[in-house]
Amino acid sequence: MVAMSSGKREGRMSLLKKIALTASAAIVTAGLTSAAWAESAAERAVKEAQKYKGQTITIVWEAGLQSLDPLNFSGPLWEKLTGIKVKVVEVQTAEMFTKIMQEYRAGTGAYDALNVIPAWMPDLANAGALEVLDPYVQKYGYGDELQKIAATYRDNQMKVDGKIFGFPDDGDVFVMYYRKDVFGDAKVQEAFKAKTGRDLAVPKNWKDFGETGAALTEILKPQNMYGAAFFRQPPYTMFMFQERFRNEGGKFFDAESMKATINSDVGVKVLTEMRNENKFMPPGVEQWGFVENLAAFMAGQTAMTISWPPYGRWAAGYGTDEKALSWVPKSTVAGKVGYAMPPGGHPELAAGFALSVASTSKNKDAAYLFIQWLNSEDISLQRVKLPTALRDPFRDSHFTDPGYLALWPDAKDYLAALQAGSKSGLLDLSLLQTDKYEEVLRQAIGKLWAGEDPKKILDAAAGEWDAITKKIGVDKQKAVYANWASKSGAYPQ
Amino acid sequence: MVILGRYLLALSVLIFFVFPIYWLFAISFKTPEEIFHFPPVWYPQKIQFANYWVLFKDGDATSVWNSFILAGSSTIIAMILGTICAYSLVRFKTGGENFAVWIISQRLMPPIAIIFPIFLLYVFFGWVDSYGGLILLYTAFNLPYVIWMMRGYIEDIPIELEESALVDGCSRWAVLWKVVFPMARAGLFATAVFTFVFAWNEFIFALVLSRTEVTTYTVQVTHYFGGQSNFWAKIAAMSVLGTVPVFITVATLQRFLVRGISMGAVKG
Amino acid sequence: MAQSFASVSSAVRRSPQMPDHNFRYWIIAPSVFLLLLIGLFPLIYAFVVSFQQITMTDYDTSFAGLVNYQALFSDQRLWESILHTIVITVIALPVELILGLALAYLFLEKMYGKQIFISLIVLPTVISPIVSGATWRLLFDQRYGPINQVLSWIAGREVVMLWTIEPILVYPAILICEIWQWTPFMFLILLAALSSVDKSLTEAAELDGAGFWRIFLKIELPAIWPVMAIAILIRGVDLFRIFDMVWALTGGGPGTYTETISIYTYVQGFRQFETSYTAAIAFLIVALMSFVVTWAIRRMGLAK
Repeated sequence: MVAMSSGKREGRMSLLKKIALTASAAIVTAGLTSAAWAESAAERAVKEAQKYKGQTITIVWEAGLQSLDPLNFSGPLWEKLTGIKVKVVEVQTAEMFTKIMQEYRAGTGAYDALNVIPAWMPDLANAGALEVLDPYVQKYGYGDELQKIAATYRDNQMKVDGKIFGFPDDGDVFVMYYRKDVFGDAKVQEAFKAKTGRDLAVPKNWKDFGETGAALTEILKPQNMYGAAFFRQPPYTMFMFQERFRNEGGKFFDAESMKATINSDVGVKVLTEMRNENKFMPPGVEQWGFVENLAAFMAGQTAMTISWPPYGRWAAGYGTDEKALSWVPKSTVAGKVGYAMPPGGHPELAAGFALSVASTSKNKDAAYLFIQWLNSEDISLQRVKLPTALRDPFRDSHFTDPGYLALWPDAKDYLAALQAGSKSGLLDLSLLQTDKYEEVLRQAIGKLWAGEDPKKILDAAAGEWDAITKKIGVDKQKAVYANWASKSGAYPQ
Repeated sequence: MVILGRYLLALSVLIFFVFPIYWLFAISFKTPEEIFHFPPVWYPQKIQFANYWVLFKDGDATSVWNSFILAGSSTIIAMILGTICAYSLVRFKTGGENFAVWIISQRLMPPIAIIFPIFLLYVFFGWVDSYGGLILLYTAFNLPYVIWMMRGYIEDIPIELEESALVDGCSRWAVLWKVVFPMARAGLFATAVFTFVFAWNEFIFALVLSRTEVTTYTVQVTHYFGGQSNFWAKIAAMSVLGTVPVFITVATLQRFLVRGISMGAVKG
Repeated sequence: MAQSFASVSSAVRRSPQMPDHNFRYWIIAPSVFLLLLIGLFPLIYAFVVSFQQITMTDYDTSFAGLVNYQALFSDQRLWESILHTIVITVIALPVELILGLALAYLFLEKMYGKQIFISLIVLPTVISPIVSGATWRLLFDQRYGPINQVLSWIAGREVVMLWTIEPILVYPAILICEIWQWTPFMFLILLAALSSVDKSLTEAAELDGAGFWRIFLKIELPAIWPVMAIAILIRGVDLFRIFDMVWALTGGGPGTYTETISIYTYVQGFRQFETSYTAAIAFLIVALMSFVVTWAIRRMGLAK
């Protein structure tokens, strides 16, 4: 009836895989045989993992595109180097937290290593589901390379209460993508100056953005192009709200009383502006998710958008020939895309991933060594350069790597933008039971698009936030919030 | 003219029910530019089976096979056990009203609430991520539906037929297989179709009680809805793959829906 | 009528046969065993847990009395979700029933291509509800979906209808998708039931000069009533527990406007791990539904 295929998703990857495997094996062998030179974290991990040869470790990974990395590249490579098999449990993002918690609560020991979104770390760490990694970092000499992760990720997405619970492994950050050709077009510039009295430039604050977007939509109407579009679905807009709110000076809570202050004038301003912006965006933009927004930009229908790093790679055409990326609309704007900080200058480090070890794992050392290896300088560099990668650069070395810079003509601007974002980026709000707070925000956005009054929406949201805080325990949450707010990425410095 | 009217009506009904399926089908052949094209593209320029091919190559298509095994097995078992149980309820009033109500009450609990304890139960028995475990679960879930539906269909069977068979010397079991099952075949068919469908489309338990081995088609499809990706082509292709077997089954077992079996000798 | 035959002949039912007394128990045994195996433990577990205070952060298994149940009554979002669910159920169920019945009559008699028609019409029910919700979301999409485009052609200008966002459109969108997916369920069941109705009875009535409605009300409806009532019951219960399709279509939004009781329970139990509170909600739902179902069973004469 249905043909059962054994090999998972091979084919086009195999040539690259072969090269990578051979190169890595060569590097590792060279490393192992050289006595005088300090060995890299990757080499150390491989060496120490030899004693676990023949075992299998399970790692939870986001389903779909993300898991192509461990399925096709890192998993097989690790097995080749250490004899440890890697079993990838693919889970849809929305279900990852649930599955991890359930397996933990049931004490099954089914998972060894985990992918964890940093915002979940306080909850998982407090529940006891994550293994404290400091002793392992010490034991296996990972301290140095750990330091070389870009500061914002390193200082904000690794620890809870001063203890290491995960290694930041994905440089998720919001980048502004704009059409260089449109902004550089003399006729458009003229029309813009005539309309607004100012020079056409990539907006640096949200007021300018509103003006620029509206004007561009008018000017570009004959070409069926809009000034801008965003993914306005509540889950994504929730991140944008967190970003804009803080860029405009808003604070989530009053640090003393722990009362929610999202319903301040800043909050109302942000919501009102967002709704007004929709007017110059394509009709129906409120329904847009990641892919709808991507399709519009790739088809050349929008002059500005803000999204995660993959847009930049795919717009340049990098990797979109891969079968695994055949769902990505082909770019019609390659070479025409410019990269900038979103208005306000402090982009959201939205979501992201960290690698952790499950506290109920029966193979903690083997699991730890695998994540040290994955996260190390050598291997992580290869992983973020995979054409199908959804992992974005997160180490200082990634941003300056000659190999990456050579991937497409504008790659240097791209990496520069990512690096700037990683320096000034803002952390997702991360408290106890973060999802409850985020859920309130998601619903607030939904109500906003449905037409309710912004002040009413935010007052209700603040009320709900306060109720949640009260239920968790004001003092308890206050301590966690203080801890979070003290991080460099919590509020614009 | 009535016939023409009937056909026109049937056709418009068909269009309403089939158009979204067509749309899904078309998506499986469209390029991403066509899927997200403004204005919408009504039919794909080229029919290429690349998307389906990828599913087979990646081994994702085995999830359809898994669903088929789980749904098929649990349906057959549930139909047999449930129908004979229904027979007992109808002919012998076994357990009376309370028993009947207890059976239907098994279907009232929202799955969300019992998923975790069932997960614990399965961990205890070592049934997580196993075929047998999920077949057992789906059978148990569908029993109330089968029992209650078949009760209704069995009540429609004139008891004289069974009695004459008994008088002829058949055992109770033989009466079941020789008289009841054949007479209720229209009902068996309709019930079996939806028992299969319920098991086929089940999501939450398949999600929680599987890890890597027994991924069903419903769970596999959700892997294609990502935060930063949407494999619409795969979603659509997978859905089509998941629909075709059922379509063929329903089409071939259609004949059980023949109208008005005449009682002949029995009726006065 | 089948019912009266059964009751009349019940006196004759027990044939002078060998002890078949245990037969009735043997044939229910496997079903009962399975139902107990899967049904009993979770029920007891959920019951016990609902009296504890297990949340995401606190694994507090001490007896906490009726705390969770008390919280139920002040939970506005919970009652709103029950209201939403009732609205969907009360509208979708009759529509599905009537449409299903009408379709069953349409396809009852011989017809060329009947086999194909029926098999195709049943297809919507076969699609995973998640996929159907997602597909209809695409169909309803302002920019990429065909529905608004067709409406625009009819209206002659661009129509902006955000089906999954505007409060006034959201419920119609859900209902359309729901009715589309489940009318075939009613249709097939009723078709099977109507097919089993003895043709000689209806033919005799026709010869006597009875019209369609007479035949329907006096002969066919009573004959198919046992099956129809159960189908209504089953579909009603399932509508009350609706989750996947609404989740994929609107996510419970905008805000919590279309949040059904299962979605709310899901968010509480799966996302926020309010294990104990969710158990209490579950028992509330079961209590409500048991009440309604028992009433319905009595009213429809199903358990006689």
